[in-house]
Amino acid sequence: MSEANTSETAAVSIRHLSKSFDDVEVLRDVELEVKTGEVVTIIGSSGSGKSTLLRCINWLEKPDRGSIHIAGQRIGVHDDGRPMPVRELAKVRAQTGMVFQGFNLWPHLNVLHNVTEAPIHVQGKSKREAEELATALLEKVGMSQKHDSYPNTLSGGQKQRVAIARALAMQPAVMLFDEPTSALDPELVGEVLAVIKDLSAEGYTMVMVTHEMAFARAVSDQVVFLEKGLIIERADPETFFTTPKTDRVRKFLENHDTPSSA
Amino acid sequence: MNASAWNMLLEGAWTTVWISAVSIAIGVVAGLVIALIRLARIPIIDQLLVLYVSVARATPLVTLALFIFLSAPDLGLDLNRSVAGILALTLNTTAFNAEIWRSAFRNFSREQSEAAMATGMTPWVTFRRIMLPQMVITSLPGLVNEMSFLIKGSPAIAVIGIVDLTRVTNRISAVTYEPLPPILVAGALYMAIIGCLVWLQRLAERRANRLAM
Repeated sequence: MSEANTSETAAVSIRHLSKSFDDVEVLRDVELEVKTGEVVTIIGSSGSGKSTLLRCINWLEKPDRGSIHIAGQRIGVHDDGRPMPVRELAKVRAQTGMVFQGFNLWPHLNVLHNVTEAPIHVQGKSKREAEELATALLEKVGMSQKHDSYPNTLSGGQKQRVAIARALAMQPAVMLFDEPTSALDPELVGEVLAVIKDLSAEGYTMVMVTHEMAFARAVSDQVVFLEKGLIIERADPETFFTTPKTDRVRKFLENHDTPSSA
Repeated sequence: MNASAWNMLLEGAWTTVWISAVSIAIGVVAGLVIALIRLARIPIIDQLLVLYVSVARATPLVTLALFIFLSAPDLGLDLNRSVAGILALTLNTTAFNAEIWRSAFRNFSREQSEAAMATGMTPWVTFRRIMLPQMVITSLPGLVNEMSFLIKGSPAIAVIGIVDLTRVTNRISAVTYEPLPPILVAGALYMAIIGCLVWLQRLAERRANRLAM
């Protein structure tokens, strides 16, 4: 219980997190604290473990060691090591909203029902209540005109904006973005980033894996650099992008052609 | 053909329809349950189900119907003909349906289930609200195919004395000495029954287009 108390104020608190796939250590003793209202960006080259770290937060990947608390509640296992029953795990997971690289909308449901599905069938909201909420969220992401459309008729950018509304509908304590623009055509990236930027301005707590350096610099409160499963650098965006401490990050930033100012 | 011959044909058609419908209804659901249990890979139970599926798929319906009907008294069961017939058809079709459902499970997008779990759905809600509705649509062509095989194979249950749509044509021609007219009518009735199924399948195909992302 003591561990839960110390992390009560944090939206996400990760301690001593380790994870291996077969023989490869993808996460090594990762520590990360995300305060409520904070935007944390995870950066690193592919294979550095950033997506795995994000997916551990809502237990889509099961870490080997360490603990994760979401809004003070431990996820996945109890403090005595017992695995969490599925219902309990689902309840903690509902405290996180996730946006995937590949959108992962449910194709048999129209846009409105993609957003109302979880509030109705997880939180037990009434249909009317859920639809009012969904209508407001779809307006926020600029998809008001598309309530009745099915996902296969939408562009990638539109799909991702619906996926963001779907995740927001559970009113989670933290939003997790797993490379939300990597699968988009370049001309559609902007509309999705604009929505995420609005959310950060509204004070949403977010953890984001991204390759959009200028964007990371503009919205982040904290930037974390992951290399071979280790956090080798963490700083506020100004410090991180202008005066990185390690050669590794300096080199990475050179290759990513970061703009000189946000 | 006189009025009583027509009457007999319609009665035979009704027998075929209700016995098939009951077998299909049980077989579709039982097939899904077996596919679900097999997903859990429970030792021994899994092997038993594999054995059942391969035996049931390899056994001719006539043999199965005879075996069930004749062995029931030895097992102390008092099965009437209809129940034995339904049991034979169900055991047969369930095995095929289980394989159809299982492949629908295997091909279901992991990303979509992850998105469901990420919103806080339990595995059961994910299955009921996200997977099953799509699996029904993608499996329906296979399931309807299997349903029409069952209806076309159903004359096999005449071997245990059920007077179905095919058997009744024999009885009529035994009196009229004109085998062709009742057979032709029976053929038309089979086509009408299967036609209803195909119409159902078209309906599903229209919805299936949405799932192609």
